[in-house]
Amino acid sequence: MIEVNNLSKTFELSRKQRKEMNTKETQFKAIQDISFSCQPGKVFSLLGPNGAGKTTTLRTLGGILKPTSGSVLINGIDIAKSPNEARKQVGFLTGSTGLYARLTPNELVAYFAGLYGIDKTTAELRKKWLFDLLDMHFYANKQIGKLSTGMKQKVSICRTMIHDPDVLVFDEPTSGLDVISAEAIINLIRDCKKQNKTVIFSSHIMSEVELLCDDLAIIHKGKIIQNSSFEEFKKASPNQSLTESFIEMIKNSEKS
Amino acid sequence: MNPVFHVIKKELIETLRDKRTLMTMIVIPILLFPVILSMMVKTQQYFADEAKGKKMTIAFDVDNLEHPIIQNLIALTKEDKLIDVRPVIDFSTTKTLIQQDSIQAAIFIQSDTTQAKQVIIWHDGTKIDLMGRIKESVELIRQKSMNQQLEVLNIRPQDVAGFEYQLMSTASTQETIGKLAGGFLPYVFIVFGFLGCMYPAIDLFTGEKERGTIETLLTVPIARWRLLFGKMIVVVLSGLLAASLSLVGLYISIRGLNIIQDPQLLTIINGILSAKFIGMLFILQIPMTIFFAGILIPIAIHAKSFKEAQSIITPLNFIVILPAVIGFLPNIELSATTAMIPMVNIVLATKDLVAGTLNYVHFFLTALVMCLIAAMAVFASYKQFEKETNVLM
Repeated sequence: MIEVNNLSKTFELSRKQRKEMNTKETQFKAIQDISFSCQPGKVFSLLGPNGAGKTTTLRTLGGILKPTSGSVLINGIDIAKSPNEARKQVGFLTGSTGLYARLTPNELVAYFAGLYGIDKTTAELRKKWLFDLLDMHFYANKQIGKLSTGMKQKVSICRTMIHDPDVLVFDEPTSGLDVISAEAIINLIRDCKKQNKTVIFSSHIMSEVELLCDDLAIIHKGKIIQNSSFEEFKKASPNQSLTESFIEMIKNSEKS
Repeated sequence: MNPVFHVIKKELIETLRDKRTLMTMIVIPILLFPVILSMMVKTQQYFADEAKGKKMTIAFDVDNLEHPIIQNLIALTKEDKLIDVRPVIDFSTTKTLIQQDSIQAAIFIQSDTTQAKQVIIWHDGTKIDLMGRIKESVELIRQKSMNQQLEVLNIRPQDVAGFEYQLMSTASTQETIGKLAGGFLPYVFIVFGFLGCMYPAIDLFTGEKERGTIETLLTVPIARWRLLFGKMIVVVLSGLLAASLSLVGLYISIRGLNIIQDPQLLTIINGILSAKFIGMLFILQIPMTIFFAGILIPIAIHAKSFKEAQSIITPLNFIVILPAVIGFLPNIELSATTAMIPMVNIVLATKDLVAGTLNYVHFFLTALVMCLIAAMAVFASYKQFEKETNVLM
């Protein structure tokens, strides 16, 4: 379970960044006082236009960024107080995630298993199970740099799941992927839901959201402007497509 | 296994699979000296052999034909078949003839009397291989002319009073080697230590950002400083390996190419390369390489691309190497004051170490200063790696 309470994240702006952003402000508030919760066995979708604060929110949930204020609880563990304990519960995957090209899938997965503190026997069993599931054995000892995009995506999935996390954070996981590779991710999210894991994902692709989402939040300019179940969101504007509803909500938020 | 060792193991595997890093870390350091020195030796040998067998023509002014010096020169051609003479009518043309390699030297006698004291030998100063032969021939003529003059005066050459002298240095041969050539060793260590750290530092930090792997790495339940230390150890090991291999390469070339043929000198060099010497060299080398890693890593963390990191680090290379030049300057010695100047102290301490004149107080002061500066550089790396905006793109 993920509980986000009054979370804010502020970045100091360098002189160069101030110039680029054409502002005199010394700080940039990426997310401001946001709250929501994600339940186990449900898929939570975080939607918003570019620069809305989705990635900052998900990076904070993944323990990559420290919150400026507010709290994030991962299965009841405060990420600011016990970051390493909280990180053990989280699997993090983004569409732009790179892999170590000079390692083999075997070496890479073993490396992350070691970093997560999993003992060798458990790591081997878990790796075998994942390699069986994703049919990865035939390229397990090939250098990752020589693999196709689809194969690499499977390696990424394996890396994310090696420590059997309860909470999964996906930041635009299918961006830049072909239909076949994207399907592997969609299946992974479905499997996680079946296994009663907590899943939060951000996406620009509304068809994916419609396919997977149970609850959603829309974020714009660092603030949550909508937080409800997917059913409630659809009921609120029955004659509109998801994309139309989303655009209207953003426009209304800008007016107010 | 300790997570730091996990990071070290993984980074070593990756580093050793990177061709670019392997080139700067292993191939270039180990091959550079054998290749350069063997080329130098072979080229020198070739030109020396060629010069030995080449006929040397010495020109003289035809008006000086009867002069005893020229007569002795002509007599010399009968003894040495590789020397030829060529009388010239217009002596001003000799310069052009030398440049065209038609003749190799020209003797110009300033006085027309037989008592001429000033003889000018024209030659091409760029042809170093011929210098020895010209000097040798002129010395023979000079000796012969002097003996003839003594004979006129009815004095036997052996009766001329004179003295022979021998220069005796108060410095031992080892000390002389250390003071004159000892500055070369830290120079090699600094250059290769820095180069050895450079590519792994860029690859392990900027590379992670550029390839988009850093984000995933930061989600693991490991303190950031552990990740940093694991990576930093690999950067330091790479620098140490490159510097050590350059030393091995240098040793191989000295032994394998027979550059030093004097057995006494070889014994001294072998004596210098003792376990104690190598151990003490590493006491200086380790903090220096940590310092290099510590200044390279913050740049690599801050840079957004491999190209940007390289463009900042390249000028830094010259700044770091600059103190090594001091090692070649005479009269600058390791003292309590110079031991406080980072990098310069390393160069001077290594020189003293080679010379066998090391003051241990100054040595430990040097090591202490380098450890302090290395610790400061590591702290700078830690601060940079902790900055969220630096690590993420």
